[in-house]
Amino acid sequence: MSGKVTTGSDIGQARRAVEQLRMEAGIDRVKVSKAAADLLQFCTEQAKSDPFLVGIPAATNPFKEKKPCAIL
Amino acid sequence: MCDQTFLVNVFGSCDKCFKQRALRPVFKKSQQLSYCSVCAEIMATDGLHENETLASLKSEAESLKGKLEEERAKLHDVELHQVAERVEALGQFVMKTRRTLKGHGNKVLCMDWCKDKRRIVSSSQDGKVIVWDSFTTNKEHAVTMPCTWVMACAYAPSGCAIACGGLDNKCSVYPLTFDKNENMAAKKKSVAMHTNYLSACSFTNSDMQILTASGDGTCALWDVESGQLLQSFHGHGADVLCLDLAPSETGNTFVSGGCDKKAMVWDMRSGQCIQAFETHESDINSVRYYPSGDAFASGSDDATCRLYDLRADREVAIYSKESIIFGASSVDFSLSGRLLFAGYNDYTINVWDVLKGSRVSILFGHENRVSTLRVSPDGTAFCSGSWDHTLRVWA
Repeated sequence: MSGKVTTGSDIGQARRAVEQLRMEAGIDRVKVSKAAADLLQFCTEQAKSDPFLVGIPAATNPFKEKKPCAIL
Repeated sequence: MCDQTFLVNVFGSCDKCFKQRALRPVFKKSQQLSYCSVCAEIMATDGLHENETLASLKSEAESLKGKLEEERAKLHDVELHQVAERVEALGQFVMKTRRTLKGHGNKVLCMDWCKDKRRIVSSSQDGKVIVWDSFTTNKEHAVTMPCTWVMACAYAPSGCAIACGGLDNKCSVYPLTFDKNENMAAKKKSVAMHTNYLSACSFTNSDMQILTASGDGTCALWDVESGQLLQSFHGHGADVLCLDLAPSETGNTFVSGGCDKKAMVWDMRSGQCIQAFETHESDINSVRYYPSGDAFASGSDDATCRLYDLRADREVAIYSKESIIFGASSVDFSLSGRLLFAGYNDYTINVWDVLKGSRVSILFGHENRVSTLRVSPDGTAFCSGSWDHTLRVWA
């Protein structure tokens, strides 16, 4: 793919790649322990309102079958 | 290689020579300018130091990649599942198919929920896009697209329109009308134009803008009303297969995954890639943000799903088993982010405990590949679409 002559666009692309990597290398990072702790905290806080975890009764879940009702 | 001849179709006066030309975005000290192609080439070779050849730039790129890995590794002090040991284990789950939506004549490729938590839009290989009422399983609307393989479809936030596209290389918006006399196809609006197939689309927070991903290797943001290209996102080295917008509280970013095995996080305003992750061993078929917006999950043809934390800037969990050898086509989180639902090419759906990394449940039912999966907006159920021509709602 690359010939003997380096065109302006090859160099342009390489320069853009280097600039992109420089920018990515320079971002602020957080320790995994802190990031993981935050994910955990979010999960536990939201768990009460997660229908899959808490399980909402069949009557209120529109998809679950309701108990058969007697016709009076 | 992807078709990267797709340039921004913006005409205007070049920021450097002020001539009226076709412009492309360039970054000078992280500021975005618009240069014509002549000035862009000149800028590329401008200020080139004597020794700055292609080879030296490539080796600098390699050493920067190494430095990036080092920086990421320094903060890798613990594994997610270790931190999660103190969390209670999940109980047994009973999830069954509660509704089966039948009506497509061929493989279901994509689906999306309406914000009313009830309606679903789905698209198929036979060119049909159907809007269903998932409670009653009735079909409310049906449109036949002029192309086959409608790989992407999305519901507008207002519930008044749907967007879809595929092999026609376009994304079209259809307003939904309940008037029996109106032909839905007549009101169709072509919004996006790519130079290869449309693989994914999503409305942003309003009905006014659409984000698209394409086989031409780019993503793009469009204004629905005028069809104008607002921003384009270049960086993937191959087809982009999926995208997901960050939950609205966390700002203007989105993540995309592609055949180049990379997942990239983009700033929607500047068009720049903020972070990139390359740990998958094959095409990334699906990406989905964690509900808090601080992480995202991806599903890939390498039979694994992975969780990437954006603040730690690294992969923090892999969801895989030796017995799972087929690719994951689609992933989504439950409302709290504790569960990850993943549809696979071996016709099953695996439910993973996101924190502990273990599989919680395996769901059988589909008779062919699961191609798409989304959790409903209120988290009470999730819907899966498959190559077996049906959609199933599980709860």
